Amino acid sequence: MTRFNDLYSEADTFLHRLDPRVKMASVLMLSLLAFIMSSLAYLLVLLTFIFILLLLARSSYRKTAFAMKFVLRFMALIAILWPLFDPSGTPVLIRLGPVVITEPGIWRGLTSAIRVGCLATVWYILIFTTSQRDLVRGLVKLGLRFDFGLALAIALRYFPAFGTVMDSIIDAQRSRGMEFEKGNIFARARKYVAVLGPAIVSALKTADMLALAMQSRAYGARRNRTYLRELRMRLSDYVALATVLAMFVVPAVAKYVLSVPI
Amino acid sequence: MNAVVTAQRLPVISLQDVSFSYEGGIEALKRVSLRVAKGEKVAVVGGNGSGKTTLAKHLNGLLKPSSGKVLIGGQDSSRTSVATLARTVGYVFQNPDYQLFCTSVEEEVRFGPHSMGLGRDDESALVERSMKLMGIGHLREQSPISLSLGDRRKVAIASVLATSPEVFVLDEPTTGLDTVESAQLMATLDVLRSEGMTVVLITHEMRLVAQHMDRVIAMSEGSVAFDTEVEEAFSDSDRLRRCKLLAPPITVLAQRLRAQGALSKGAATPLQLVEQVVRVRGERR
Amino acid sequence: MRAFELTKTRVRYRGSDILALCDVSVGVDEGEIVLLLGSNNAGKSTFCRLLNGLVPHSIPAQVDGAVEVLGRDVSKTSVARLATLVGMVFQEPESQLFCMSVEEEVAFGPENIAIPRAEIISRVEWALGVVGLSGYNARPPSNLSGGEKQRLAIAAALSMRPRLLVLDEPAYALDPAGRTDLYALLRTLRERYGMTIIIAERDAEELTELCDRVILLRSGRVVADGAPSEVLSRIDEMVVAGVSPPQIAHLSALLADRFPGKTRPFFTMGGAEKEIADLVRTSGGDAP
Repeated sequence: MTRFNDLYSEADTFLHRLDPRVKMASVLMLSLLAFIMSSLAYLLVLLTFIFILLLLARSSYRKTAFAMKFVLRFMALIAILWPLFDPSGTPVLIRLGPVVITEPGIWRGLTSAIRVGCLATVWYILIFTTSQRDLVRGLVKLGLRFDFGLALAIALRYFPAFGTVMDSIIDAQRSRGMEFEKGNIFARARKYVAVLGPAIVSALKTADMLALAMQSRAYGARRNRTYLRELRMRLSDYVALATVLAMFVVPAVAKYVLSVPI
Repeated sequence: MNAVVTAQRLPVISLQDVSFSYEGGIEALKRVSLRVAKGEKVAVVGGNGSGKTTLAKHLNGLLKPSSGKVLIGGQDSSRTSVATLARTVGYVFQNPDYQLFCTSVEEEVRFGPHSMGLGRDDESALVERSMKLMGIGHLREQSPISLSLGDRRKVAIASVLATSPEVFVLDEPTTGLDTVESAQLMATLDVLRSEGMTVVLITHEMRLVAQHMDRVIAMSEGSVAFDTEVEEAFSDSDRLRRCKLLAPPITVLAQRLRAQGALSKGAATPLQLVEQVVRVRGERR
Repeated sequence: MRAFELTKTRVRYRGSDILALCDVSVGVDEGEIVLLLGSNNAGKSTFCRLLNGLVPHSIPAQVDGAVEVLGRDVSKTSVARLATLVGMVFQEPESQLFCMSVEEEVAFGPENIAIPRAEIISRVEWALGVVGLSGYNARPPSNLSGGEKQRLAIAAALSMRPRLLVLDEPAYALDPAGRTDLYALLRTLRERYGMTIIIAERDAEELTELCDRVILLRSGRVVADGAPSEVLSRIDEMVVAGVSPPQIAHLSALLADRFPGKTRPFFTMGGAEKEIADLVRTSGGDAP
């Protein structure tokens, strides 16, 4: 099964090679750009650009399909529901009892759907092309405290392991004749105690051992530690950053300083 | 006991051409066929990743075959719920902590028979008997998680035993136990066996296999590498090494002595070997 | 030089009224491989954790008597400082490998003590090479096999260049082949790098030939301490301590009991084979 935590795949594309800090900054700027722009045409251009990036990320069909299924469903949902709840403007196209659908409502729905599509896809591209370790490393280099970065990394590292533990516990309880599908809500709640209880005990034990293992390897010995992998900005990183910065600043200035409607 | 004779008796569990692949495509079992007869004591051995736990999880329907057929007490595992199969096969997980959640030992042991709805009288009798067999009666009021690993494992085993299964599958039950605790556990399994229960033991502990088991199924890369009676299992050290296993020193020694004609039979324990020596010396005199 | 020296050491964990270790006096020289043998709750883990200061610095306990590791008083030395002298490997690989890649796992220790980057890189390559995991740098530890995980845990300790390596039941999750590999690696570490190695185990069967010395613990006390052939043939003491005697040593003792004066003690498979063959050949003249 494809899960959210294994969407990253190893590959050697331009996007994979980019510095994680540049990628995070770019994703942030492109997201903001999607919010700034309100013209459907410009948003479509942005979405096309983002989809091209998605293709360049060379993620597997399986992972792309898994991610985009969510995005497209969400977009469709917004495009359909928006006009139903936003009856402002004219001309009115349909009036059916309390339901009023207007033409501007439909346009706004489409605009929002595409905006959300841009936003979600661009974050997926980040996840597709950046390993968790690079994400954490990037965050630490951007000023996140090392301890917090490490905690985040450990949480990400043990998340799948915790899932495996939960699966084993469920199997162990089913082997004793527990049927998770049966019973009323209270009976079911009690059954989940039978899973969560052992899961928490086992997580706490792991955490305990983890603390000992980390201390045994001099965790916290000095305030300024060194790093095996340093992030270094290369020319291509600067070029990419400058490009995205321009893509963000030009429309922003045009809209808010020059009052160009985009 | 001869493996061929065994197979002719009524099988409690039978696997016919079973293959299994995990999602993501790793083939963990490749066309495995075997039968376990009532009352057998079978060890399933093999290196880490050989497929032995995957095999074991087919024995109570936790995993359903991708192809082939698993029959448990005559029921097709693919069409029967784990809860139903649990009445025939009890499965003890390697880590007791995955199983224990009640606030007292007695409640924990009672949980299985209670959720199977065995009726109050039967339930209490089974609970008492299981606790007695595992020697944990004196811990009945205590909280399972506060106990030592050895005791936690005993509680986990008792809690499955209390469901009164015909077949008992134990996944590495001696991991983390010391000699005294392992010996107690194995003695209990011998008692169960003498009462007609079928025991399937998954283990790395070859000394226990040599001493307590009748039959050895060795897994390697998802296939059955060999399936023989116990003495023959340890006779080929190259074959064992290919399966990432190691024969116990006494078994190896006895075989070497037999090969040079000094002894006439094998031995699984130092004491058995001494008895052999005594007998051979007596015969020679 | 002494790798470590415990003098009349007593350990009592906070909130417990039992002594986890009681009047333990043990000195180990550098370059020795020592097996710390005992049942569950014999005090093996406490012994190990004293050596890198986890007890009492991280796990609160009352420690009496002296604990000296490579000339340093453990009670006055931080765990982080001791980590450069004592490498520690725990039983379960899953809870001691917390990084997202093999190389980060190995680099974690040196990074913490601010070793320069170039040096870390060479240490990582060296440590991975020693344990046979070269080229695994970018792999996530969770995808390794049980045996590989335990070797990675050793590499992660080795990158601190410790002089003493302490392994607390390292074979716990390993299959027989994995155990054989592990013990071969430990032998290499001693032979090539002169490392002192302490292995805590419940079972001596596969370790009889690896160790120079065996310390038998029972309820927190040292009940035997000496060469393997000596300690491991004290069958009664091992049984009382809840440890199963190695089969060959056990056989030697049983034969000596059954045929007094007719057999010489043996300790290896070859020795046993010869002795029993002789015993069978010279039959006749036994008391019935």
